[in-house]
Amino acid sequence: MRSERARHNKIIFSGTVGAGKSTAINALSDIPTVSTEAVASDDTARLKRTTTVAMDYGVLNLPSGEKVMLYGTPGQERFSFMWDILSEGGIGLILLINNANTAPLKDLEGYLAAFKQFISGTAVAIGVTHMDRAPEPALDAYRSHLIALGITPLPAVFRADARKREDVAMLVKALLYTLNPGLSDA
Amino acid sequence: MTPSKAAPPTSGTCALHLLHVGSMDARLIGLSIERHWTRAVHLVDTLEEAHVVLVDCDRPGIETALERLAGNPRIGIVYYAFHPRDHASRFHPRPVLGKPLNLESLPLTLAQARADASRLIAAAPPRAPTARQPPPHPHTAPHQPPPMPPAPQGHSLMGEDERDFCGAMDDIPAAQGGALPDKLFFDPDDYLVGRLHKALAQAGASGRPHVIAGLQRLIGIQSRPQPVCVTAFRENQLRPLAMTQLPEATGRIVSTPIIDDATNSLVHFAAEDFLWNAAAWAARGRLPSGTNPYLPVRLRAWPNFTSACVSPHALRIAALWTRVPASPVDIATRLGIPHRYVFSVYSAAHFANLLDTSFQPEQTAAASPPAPPMPERQARPSILSRILRKLRDAV
Repeated sequence: MRSERARHNKIIFSGTVGAGKSTAINALSDIPTVSTEAVASDDTARLKRTTTVAMDYGVLNLPSGEKVMLYGTPGQERFSFMWDILSEGGIGLILLINNANTAPLKDLEGYLAAFKQFISGTAVAIGVTHMDRAPEPALDAYRSHLIALGITPLPAVFRADARKREDVAMLVKALLYTLNPGLSDA
Repeated sequence: MTPSKAAPPTSGTCALHLLHVGSMDARLIGLSIERHWTRAVHLVDTLEEAHVVLVDCDRPGIETALERLAGNPRIGIVYYAFHPRDHASRFHPRPVLGKPLNLESLPLTLAQARADASRLIAAAPPRAPTARQPPPHPHTAPHQPPPMPPAPQGHSLMGEDERDFCGAMDDIPAAQGGALPDKLFFDPDDYLVGRLHKALAQAGASGRPHVIAGLQRLIGIQSRPQPVCVTAFRENQLRPLAMTQLPEATGRIVSTPIIDDATNSLVHFAAEDFLWNAAAWAARGRLPSGTNPYLPVRLRAWPNFTSACVSPHALRIAALWTRVPASPVDIATRLGIPHRYVFSVYSAAHFANLLDTSFQPEQTAAASPPAPPMPERQARPSILSRILRKLRDAV
């Protein structure tokens, strides 16, 4: 694991199309998010009118004057070449999975594989969105799938509403404590 | 000063005024009176109507409450505190009860305090409990105490005092040996969580919904397709209900063919989250009876902290306990926190079915090198800590 000093102050948000990455960054950011969205041109168009084609960018302004950048990766897999570039030097990954997709557990598996190297040096916290209208698979199914994939220690998996700042903040807090349970916020 | 208008202390039910009591305790006591003590105690809104008052010694502003009592020597006073011995000499001969209040015995204590107050009046001239009584102004109306602000309804769980959530129990010995204090444990059968746990098991076994009958509002459990709890209670009502000891006859578990939501007023919760919360609220830093706090266990998964209540240090505890099997005492030691915070998480995880004992002995914390980094000792907090501090108020 790299030292904290070696990392950039950035947290990566990734996940499936329509999972709420842009919304989550917007909920947490202290600035209006910079988003490079465009009219969706492929299968994504069935799911949402616009989608992120480059990245979303938000900022957490710390009281000390430092900034923590919040980067959202494009959801479409054809832009996956950007994921490594964006995540380079990041603190950790917030992975959002849209539970209303047809195979969310497969989505989870795919994203964990894509970010395997990054996660192995940092940590991941998983937010499952849209569970209000698609309650299955339930959180226990996600946990079982993570165990089957050999992901240890088991990351935090929360039901999340990307519009709620407190849900997004809870995911980030879980990420930080996963990196170091001895952290103090005082 | 306005003289007390209380009825003669030997007749009728005891008029109780919650003079200096937190909103959560007020709701707990109110529910208990409503359900079980209507023949013994009734709540009154003003000091002047009261036979007895309750005073929480740990709440800020107690001096103001004492000043108000100074003008009402006929009123019995029952104090309570996390550390009653610290206050006993100051308030002698009034009783100072320990927290959490034993609601079973409280009516008797109130009646005793009422009787004692009348004896004190007969034996001695009125005297102020502790504080100096402000002199009455000769040309003004009798002193009227300022109105107390209404208790907040629906306050945030995270805003509660840590002690309200996890009690104030001292740590137990770091190593096993000797008897543990009884107050370390609670019997889940006395609380809502015990009923819920049984109802969930019965619903799972039978495949039929079950309800907890005899409560003011509906609580039902369905095991399929996903285990859920449905209820007409609002969250700010659920917490005091979960903290209250239920009589045996209250909260019977009944099978039902369907949970009727004709009024569309029922709220659905994942059973895991619902039981986590009910258990954490009942536990208040204690362990379910029969628990060995020196036995290693592991959290098989993080609880769903976007719905499950987050007791103090719960995130840190979950982060560590999902990595390494360890006893509750070991976890507290490794994180450098009081045992009660870990006991609270243990109790909640037990009833949410998130504890795992199926691991090899060599995997335990005692057998493995320290897995997580130790608490920070740096002069300047790390960037992770600084982010946490920024997010602290976001939840």
